[in-house]
Amino acid sequence: MDWAATLPSTVGAVLTRHVHLIRSVALGDATTLQNGALSVSADEAAALLSAPCLADVRVSWASPGDAVRIVKVLDVVEPRTKGAGGGGIFPGWLDDTVDVGGPVHVLRGAAVVIAGYLPRAQEAVIDMSGPAAELSPFGSTHNLVIEFTPAAGADWAEVDDVLRRGSLALAARLAEASLDVEPDLVEEVLDPAPVEDLPRVGAITNLQTQGVFKDVFVRGQSFVGAAPVLIDPAEIDAGAVVAGQYGHPSLRNSTWVHQNHPVVAALRAAHGRGLSFAGVILSPEPVSAADKQAVSIAAAQLCADAGWDAAIVTKEGGGNADADMALKMDALEELGIASVGLFAEMAGPDGTGPPIVVPPEKATAMISTGNYDTRLSLPAMDRALGGDELALLGVAATSAMELPTAVILGALSPLGWSRLTCAEQPVTA
Amino acid sequence: MARIVHYLNQFFVGLGGEDAAASPPSSQLGPVGPGRRLAQLLGDEHEIVTTVSCGDDDAAGRPEAVAEIVALIEAAQPDVVVAGPAFTSGRYGLACARVAGAAKAAGLTAVAAMHPDNPGLDEAGGAPVVAVGEAARMMGPALDSLAAAVRKLAGGEPLTNADGLIGLAPRTPRMADRNAAERAVALVLARLAGDRDATEVPLPKFDHVTPAPPVDDLASATVALVTEGALVPDDNPGALESARATKWLRYSLAGIDQLPSGEWRSVHGGFSTVWANADPHRILPLDAARELEREGVIGHLHEEYLVTAGNGTSVANARRFGIEWAADLRHSGARAAILTAT
Repeated sequence: MDWAATLPSTVGAVLTRHVHLIRSVALGDATTLQNGALSVSADEAAALLSAPCLADVRVSWASPGDAVRIVKVLDVVEPRTKGAGGGGIFPGWLDDTVDVGGPVHVLRGAAVVIAGYLPRAQEAVIDMSGPAAELSPFGSTHNLVIEFTPAAGADWAEVDDVLRRGSLALAARLAEASLDVEPDLVEEVLDPAPVEDLPRVGAITNLQTQGVFKDVFVRGQSFVGAAPVLIDPAEIDAGAVVAGQYGHPSLRNSTWVHQNHPVVAALRAAHGRGLSFAGVILSPEPVSAADKQAVSIAAAQLCADAGWDAAIVTKEGGGNADADMALKMDALEELGIASVGLFAEMAGPDGTGPPIVVPPEKATAMISTGNYDTRLSLPAMDRALGGDELALLGVAATSAMELPTAVILGALSPLGWSRLTCAEQPVTA
Repeated sequence: MARIVHYLNQFFVGLGGEDAAASPPSSQLGPVGPGRRLAQLLGDEHEIVTTVSCGDDDAAGRPEAVAEIVALIEAAQPDVVVAGPAFTSGRYGLACARVAGAAKAAGLTAVAAMHPDNPGLDEAGGAPVVAVGEAARMMGPALDSLAAAVRKLAGGEPLTNADGLIGLAPRTPRMADRNAAERAVALVLARLAGDRDATEVPLPKFDHVTPAPPVDDLASATVALVTEGALVPDDNPGALESARATKWLRYSLAGIDQLPSGEWRSVHGGFSTVWANADPHRILPLDAARELEREGVIGHLHEEYLVTAGNGTSVANARRFGIEWAADLRHSGARAAILTAT
């Protein structure tokens, strides 16, 4: 972090990350971390998810390079804690403390992955090897995969809630194994204090909020019906935003991606170098057109009130969410605030169709995060986790198959994680 | 002497407008309508030997029509097949593109002409399409471009962008040097520095549809129900996709007054279908439509409904479905449609 020394002295660190790089993983008798080797007690992990609505919970590892396909992925969480017992991490779930102080202990390179059937969840795939592995953030993490069998007659919404609470508790518990271990890296997370004479640029993070199984939680509360709100990005680091949205796999922001918010990271890196990082606004994506319009105007006004000069707007979801993007970007431009949007293209398998479903009318600056419809030929795998069958195709989950990029979890990085993009191929007559 | 066969719609061969849009494929000797001017431009080394025509509704709405058109074309043994110009006309553009595409697939040399925004463009199946203006008032320059293209093709030369060839420049995936968030920051800085053109995604231009005039006499009109709500018979016999639909289906409503729960369901993947399946009329209001039919508010309810799933559907496919639905409904005599959306 040598660049931090070059920043104006008014910028102070408010959060410190103690980062442990996970190099190998195993199941063992106890949950321990030694020299980058994370060992997890399967019994302890399963116990954290134990509930009457679950008949069975199974725990296994999938690592980068393994011939493993994980299907029916629901959420992915990065192991983090602020101390024994989970205080201050995932506020509203494990503990009510909202604590933006540090340090936060991070197991980088490891992830807790919940995978299995839930109604309304769209089939979401992580491949640990082959061409899809580099497209998902989770093709390069050591994934502790939690599979489950609901109890007979269990209420699905309750199953969903238990899985979410359990996965967050497990993520915090894993990170506790690092509390007495010297970190590989210590990262100073800077307070985005204004820098004089530089344009103030912030992030608007749209969260897809359409009710049970398509919801996102902020400090433990459903964000359905909420107004756009400013949030300290250090809170997002501490897990204030938790995913519960199981639509559009490639265009879904898993909890892990919020914890590692790529737009926040990029703005922090540019802070003091051409711009002043102005903060983060979380905004819901409501269902009706009128509500989308109202929320967009409110979000843009909040940016104006906060004195922003420009905003990077991101989305979650398919074509419907393009409308939230377009309305918000246009509302910003109306107020004289420059806007840049991250869009996935939906241009058909050959990439010749119109790329955006609902384009803005005034705003023009858009980043392409790849094409939803690009076909991928995926190899056969030795092992499948999350289910035996790939729901979309009705074939064995281990078989070789062709899938659109749309099905690969996080591949179209709505929050900007990936390097995937699209560009026009020169015309050949 | 190169033999040219020209494809036109019912309007340009003089059969009539929408009243003749259902006319079937037919063939006549020599150039007709704009074909006469095209023949003049082409000069003595080319001869428009035959003009094949078809009504727009028939050509875009009846699956067998294109094959019948191509059979008439093949019978005239052309060296080059020319379709259009179709300008921005949707059904005509679709027909020209499909005719050119099918002719190419049959081993013929073919070219179509239409405006670059014509939704038919995607259907040309690899046959070259030459750009022309928006409407028939641009016929003069359109025929100039088309004649030049035909001369090149008849001479065995490929068309290039300089000939007005519309390049379906594909946007292909690749890995950038930096992630999307970092590129967004760079784009913000460019934008703040005054660059208003910088973008990675060119804005698509969408056509604006002029609404059809109101139905004069609803009490004598046939009204159709159409939906993107993916309501299908319970066993989904046509295997309609729940997302990214590539097709639409039709199901009969003949003799049916109700859509009982359990016999019909929505396979839509974009919303909770619990309430739709509890009462399928929430997606397809057959009960209310039958009531309006009994009361005489509408003349007749169309005997089948058209259905797709509007969830993650590409704009190109959605536009094609719309054109095909319009042609299909006109073909069947429906004069109004109620489109239920989810």
